[in-house]
Amino acid sequence: MVDLSDREISGEIIESCRRGDREAFRALYDTYKDRVYSIAVCFFHGDRAVASDVTQQVFLKLITSIGRFRGDAAFSTWLYRLVVNACLDVARRRTPESLLSTLADQDTPAEPSSQEEAYARAQLASSVRAAISTLPEKFRIAVLLRYFDDLSYEQMAEALNCSMGTVASRLSRGHKMLAERLKHVNSPKA
Amino acid sequence: MTMWTRHVSGKLATYVDAELTPQAAQRVESHMETCAQCRTECDRTRSGMAMMERLPIIEAPDSIWMAIEAQLRDRPTTTPAIPSWRLAVAATVIVAVAGAAAWRLAHPAATRWEVQRLAGSPAIGARPISGVGRVGIGEWISTDADSRAVVAIGEIGSVEIEPNTRLRVLATRPDEHRLALARGEIRATISAPPRLFFVDTASGTAVDLGCEYALNTDEDGSGLLRVTKGWVSFEWKGLESLVPAGASCRTRPGIGPGLPYFDDASDAMKQALGTFGYEKVAGNGLDVILAEARVRDTLTLWHLLFRIAGAERARVYDRIAALTPVPAGVSREKALELDPETMKHWREELAWTW
Amino acid sequence: MWRFGIVTWAALAFAQGFTFTIGSPVASQDGRSKLAAFVFRIEGCAEPAKARVGGTAEGLVQGARKSAALKLVAMSTPGVYAVYPSWPAEGDWVVNLNGTCAGANAGALIPIGPGGFIRASSTFLPRPATAPEIDTALKTLSQGRHK
Repeated sequence: MVDLSDREISGEIIESCRRGDREAFRALYDTYKDRVYSIAVCFFHGDRAVASDVTQQVFLKLITSIGRFRGDAAFSTWLYRLVVNACLDVARRRTPESLLSTLADQDTPAEPSSQEEAYARAQLASSVRAAISTLPEKFRIAVLLRYFDDLSYEQMAEALNCSMGTVASRLSRGHKMLAERLKHVNSPKA
Repeated sequence: MTMWTRHVSGKLATYVDAELTPQAAQRVESHMETCAQCRTECDRTRSGMAMMERLPIIEAPDSIWMAIEAQLRDRPTTTPAIPSWRLAVAATVIVAVAGAAAWRLAHPAATRWEVQRLAGSPAIGARPISGVGRVGIGEWISTDADSRAVVAIGEIGSVEIEPNTRLRVLATRPDEHRLALARGEIRATISAPPRLFFVDTASGTAVDLGCEYALNTDEDGSGLLRVTKGWVSFEWKGLESLVPAGASCRTRPGIGPGLPYFDDASDAMKQALGTFGYEKVAGNGLDVILAEARVRDTLTLWHLLFRIAGAERARVYDRIAALTPVPAGVSREKALELDPETMKHWREELAWTW
Repeated sequence: MWRFGIVTWAALAFAQGFTFTIGSPVASQDGRSKLAAFVFRIEGCAEPAKARVGGTAEGLVQGARKSAALKLVAMSTPGVYAVYPSWPAEGDWVVNLNGTCAGANAGALIPIGPGGFIRASSTFLPRPATAPEIDTALKTLSQGRHK
């Protein structure tokens, strides 16, 4: 799993955001923007335009409703509830024209040691994203939440508004489906 | 100790993630000792999780924050829980404007691409272009039946926009120039390293690998990619068609890229591909394709290997082998299994005949 | 005695097929070749990186014979080169390639048509092409285009 536990936001920043502190909101945005965006890109079949819109919606919703965050749960749990709702809402409303799917994956790998290796990694990441996009939405969002943040199963249950048993079941089935779809990774390569 | 006799498939993710209590984990392990099905499913769960590790975090583009800032500037506050926000927003307006200006200085006009009118009244969003305009991220360029335009793609090339076309700019970064073609036709001429320029359509993405090409998309997302120089990879959900110069490839939404074919292939072959280019090629269509194929049509046949199976795949393999010698290192057995290394090596050798 | 050895070695190199194979730019697997007229690789050479390759573009422009320097760029795979158009659009042109490897020679004549290089009419030789052979290739190309 991606280990980003050191990126959890502090209570002070949350409190500053409630008071309308712009810099605090920017700090909060910077902490979570890439994870939220990554989840949205993978959820929406690589459609970066939609992912940008969803990310924007999530943070606007966050800043206008942060006053309602009671602090009795991890902030990230609350944030990812917004992410889940935004992804599922937009998915329900999507029109055919807006279904612009992409597979091309140009995200820079962490440490490309050669152009060929970077290319190979990008190809593999692309294949994984493609397989993710074939999962049913509820499995897809669960798998993405688990990977892109370090939420516990309990926190995921809260974000997904379901029981821990349901989280476990969706993750089990989702990952098995992924493994099945990727077992050959037979895409012809350019 | 109680051992679950029912399968534990629903608990496998929790088990692999060590989220079970020690006792529960022990019970799962004991069950798997005697249950091959659950062991297999556990392996698959681990495999799926390992595959997720291949995904990098994607950096959110700067445009998102700019859009948020713009919304916050324009939005009247109605949230009593944060009464100071209005003052904070007013106080930060100057900062925001200065910030935006500073951002534009750091990211000058190059991130808004120049669009030149060639004919009629092309538009950026709702604004007609009379001479030269600029298009930014998220904006649409539209042409009607009488309009044409050309957009400069940063420093790497240009795209001509034919009539009745709608095109959106998705990314203008130095490491990613990306458009989305909703309908119509564009002609791209790109001089850049591979994989800097992309065009998304409803049926896949054209990935520039250094080339000139024309891409046409219908209202329903069906498209035709024709490459005149270099080569293009057209990709969608794990399906990829490599389209070199002199070749074309049809695409359909929900199905992705069809089989690439050379433009000088026989009419019979193109007709057979037109009918069966997307789904599994079978029956008479396959007979025609195999009979009509020349040496350079191994481009089509090699891609066809991935779209069919069993005896039909074996027929295609045999036809390729009859047209051109199978290179050393490519065994029939591994090719029929679509072994990735084998297929890559074979394609590299076949490319010398395309 | 050593001269006999070199002749034998050269003969061996040719016997093993020191020659050129030509292809579309896609064959190079190298994005730098995207706008090349064609690419070629040397075959039957034990050390491709040490082979010497060169050539010219030979043309017939309004009845007059012309020559142009050839722009060859080595690709990332040893022994693979891209040939970029260095000749004018006017007239009929043939690319005259030659190379040496461990004392063995190879040559090729590749006609260039409106659609790019003409594989079917290309000639491969165990030595550099002669002037008459170049003239014949140009004449054939010219007659074929102006039929």
